[in-house]
Amino acid sequence: MSVAVVGFGQTHFRTKRKDKTHPEIAFEAVNAALEHAGLELKDIEAVAYGSMDPFDGIYCPERWDATACSLEKPMMKISTGGTTGMTTALAAYEHVASGLFDLVMAVCVQRVGECVDAQPVLNTAVDPIYERHSGLGAIHIASFQATAYMEKYGATEEDLAWVSVKDHKNALKNPYAHIKMDLGVDDVLKSRVVCSPLKLLECCPRSDGAAAVIFASEDLAKKIRDNPAWIVAETTISDSYYLGDRLSFAEWDSLAIAGRRLFRDAGIENPVKDIDVAELYSPFTIQEILELEALGFAEKGRGKELAREGVTFIDGDMPTNPSGGVLCTNPIGATGLVRFGEAALQVMGEAVNQVDGAEVALAHAWGGTLQFHTLAVLSSKKKLG
Amino acid sequence: MRIGIVGVGFTEFGIHKEPFYNIAFTAAKRALEDAGIERGEVDSFILGGYDNLGVGRTISNMYTAPAAGAYLRHEIRVSDDALFALPLACMRLRHRSDVTMLLAFGHSSETPIELVELQSLDPFFHRPLNLSLPAFFAMQSYAYRRRYGVDEEKIAEVVVKERENGSENPRAFVRDKVRVEDVLSSEIVSSPLRRLEIAEWCDGCVAFILAEETVARRLTDSPVWVSGLGWSLENYYFDREFQKLPFVAKSAEMAFKMAGKDRGDVEALEICDLTADYHCMILEALGFAEEGRGWDYNGDVNHSGGALCTNAYGSTGAFLLASIVERIRKGEIDCGLVQSMSGYAQRSCVAILEG
Amino acid sequence: MEVKEFEIWWKIPFKHSAGLHATKFFEGLKDGKILGVRCERCGRVLVPPRAFCERCHVETNDWVEVSDEGVVETLTVTYMKFTGLPDPPYAIGVVKLDGADTGMLCFLGGVDLSEWRKVHETFKPGTRVKAVWKEEREGKITDILYFEPLK
Repeated sequence: MSVAVVGFGQTHFRTKRKDKTHPEIAFEAVNAALEHAGLELKDIEAVAYGSMDPFDGIYCPERWDATACSLEKPMMKISTGGTTGMTTALAAYEHVASGLFDLVMAVCVQRVGECVDAQPVLNTAVDPIYERHSGLGAIHIASFQATAYMEKYGATEEDLAWVSVKDHKNALKNPYAHIKMDLGVDDVLKSRVVCSPLKLLECCPRSDGAAAVIFASEDLAKKIRDNPAWIVAETTISDSYYLGDRLSFAEWDSLAIAGRRLFRDAGIENPVKDIDVAELYSPFTIQEILELEALGFAEKGRGKELAREGVTFIDGDMPTNPSGGVLCTNPIGATGLVRFGEAALQVMGEAVNQVDGAEVALAHAWGGTLQFHTLAVLSSKKKLG
Repeated sequence: MRIGIVGVGFTEFGIHKEPFYNIAFTAAKRALEDAGIERGEVDSFILGGYDNLGVGRTISNMYTAPAAGAYLRHEIRVSDDALFALPLACMRLRHRSDVTMLLAFGHSSETPIELVELQSLDPFFHRPLNLSLPAFFAMQSYAYRRRYGVDEEKIAEVVVKERENGSENPRAFVRDKVRVEDVLSSEIVSSPLRRLEIAEWCDGCVAFILAEETVARRLTDSPVWVSGLGWSLENYYFDREFQKLPFVAKSAEMAFKMAGKDRGDVEALEICDLTADYHCMILEALGFAEEGRGWDYNGDVNHSGGALCTNAYGSTGAFLLASIVERIRKGEIDCGLVQSMSGYAQRSCVAILEG
Repeated sequence: MEVKEFEIWWKIPFKHSAGLHATKFFEGLKDGKILGVRCERCGRVLVPPRAFCERCHVETNDWVEVSDEGVVETLTVTYMKFTGLPDPPYAIGVVKLDGADTGMLCFLGGVDLSEWRKVHETFKPGTRVKAVWKEEREGKITDILYFEPLK
């Protein structure tokens, strides 16, 4: 059964949304999505809710947030680390694809700003028996990738900085984006080193906010809007746990495997040609480069050149993160759903930084210690080709 | 299209010294063996269990996904009692999977669960008052006993019966029989609830292999079909009558509707009686007993001993599910209903199974 | 109106069981040995040792001792203070020990950490390193203080 996105809503993202409680933030996103779809909450049959609990200092926040999105409705809680937003979208999608429901909403809420520091929370994801003592957080892992990639492929600090320049330029025009700075390469290079070789302006912020996406079955989707975003293919992949098991930090082979499966299901032969725009989960500059290579948008070792050469800018051949991406806005457990929603807006032709004529968009999230990926292809057409 | 359970793998339910992922691995291996298939034949993995605080690891599926065998496969975790993951597994199978593993992991022995659950309350209105799980359960018990004039002996008899069932189930965690006077002389945890009227936490995992109908029939002559599923929730704030569980009733309505069955078709029940009073209230909400008379129900309920004898934080619902599945496989019953509950008695999931 | 904020700490004790495999590994550390397990199906030596091979989904019981020398796969030096994490600067990396097929997360040290480019030059991927052990070992992962360049 074909399934489409018929509504997307997001909150304004800030370091702290002091004006609202947890469910009040959910309420804001839910209403934005309903308004976009021209629906009311009573129309929604079921809800998939996602959050990565510990950042907000509330365990199982779906219990409190149910007041904002799901009373009287079946609700399912999804939590899978950084991929949470995307897996929540896929869970909502499965509700409809299975034929059991016709109209289902995915809601993700995260208040990273509520915890005084995010890295110690990320550190609690790391195995307390063997690995946690090392002080490892997400940023350290990304720095491992940067060190290995720069060594192997001779990438420079400037190559990485260009990714940041591009994302920040895009975020300037996105009213929902968190960080808005007009940056040049020198600004990025001059910012302080957080975890070598990555610098402050190559790292995402901690953001408060929420997002909601509404999924509909085929007939309903066509009734709700004339430009629904169809889900053409989706996949997730789960790698082994220990960080040291990764074959290489200079390539992201698990993403390459997942991408190959996704493109096969979607009928995509040449991603560069067949995909118009990508919303990638790249909270750190290096990760967009590795993702572009793993997904076949660039040859190995060539990803470093794409931002510098303008290819990934909004008017380039392969625009990435026209929303400003994760580098400028990262409400961790909701971030994947924002990628999914922004990809949907692009193929609906309604994005703020609209890529001209975009018909096929890719959405991606990664999670764990480089362990999980979730991917989806959305299109203005039900099937590609 | 029907979805069938074609393999079940239990681990021991008790207090484990091995980390939860090693227990999960054992459950997964046993389920694969029971179904007679290799890991590579499973295309999707749905995990059920709680996040972070219960086991002190923020993203618990980082550990349990490899244990399940999800290496380079599709995997999503439902972060709740594992019965709530069954709907996602079934939806995946209806949509695009041939064979899915549902891995339920439950672990409580590494940290005080009451303290963990307390953190699910908002930090402004409820949490500062230290409303612990047993205290909330007790408020419902008090309302139930008072509203319907139920003597504590009647409640104690429920415990005695559950313990008897548990004593005959080699898989149960608590297997000692108790007498009414034992229950009534056990210490009061939170008035009026006594220690023996509350389920005790333990550890344990169960894995299931599920398959789409045509595949299921190739794998076994006796699949157990998941005919109906329903799940629902109650308001977080207290605009409820404390002696009732309307969200349990709603989850049952949804499941019966999907299964196209009525209560007369159900031969046995497994319900998540986290307290003896909930045992009564759930039976009433499910429509198997009159309001205020759940303690008097003498049908086939909690043959396994129920949650009162086995309550692994995160996998209790899966334990109950597996218990019904085993009985259907043995031919003891044709149709059974399993119910689970999570949070501050806020969420309920019901599944109707048949042979 | 100023919005109120309440500072709330989570103080929740955990006792994490290491299980038999990791316990054996920690006992080995006490004796100055690094132990791994060989997966009998794929033949890889997994360090740190675990009860099952994630690739092959089989139990692992074939214990082997690996060297306390190995090769750096990657590294980073942290310069920002994160609540509850070690004081900066500190260097961590992934080292593949001789005789092991997987890398192990560890501290890198024995050098001045103030200039990251120098540290990266000293420990660049492919550099051979050796463990520096604590004198008084307790059977913890921190019995290995850090890895330093092999002289």
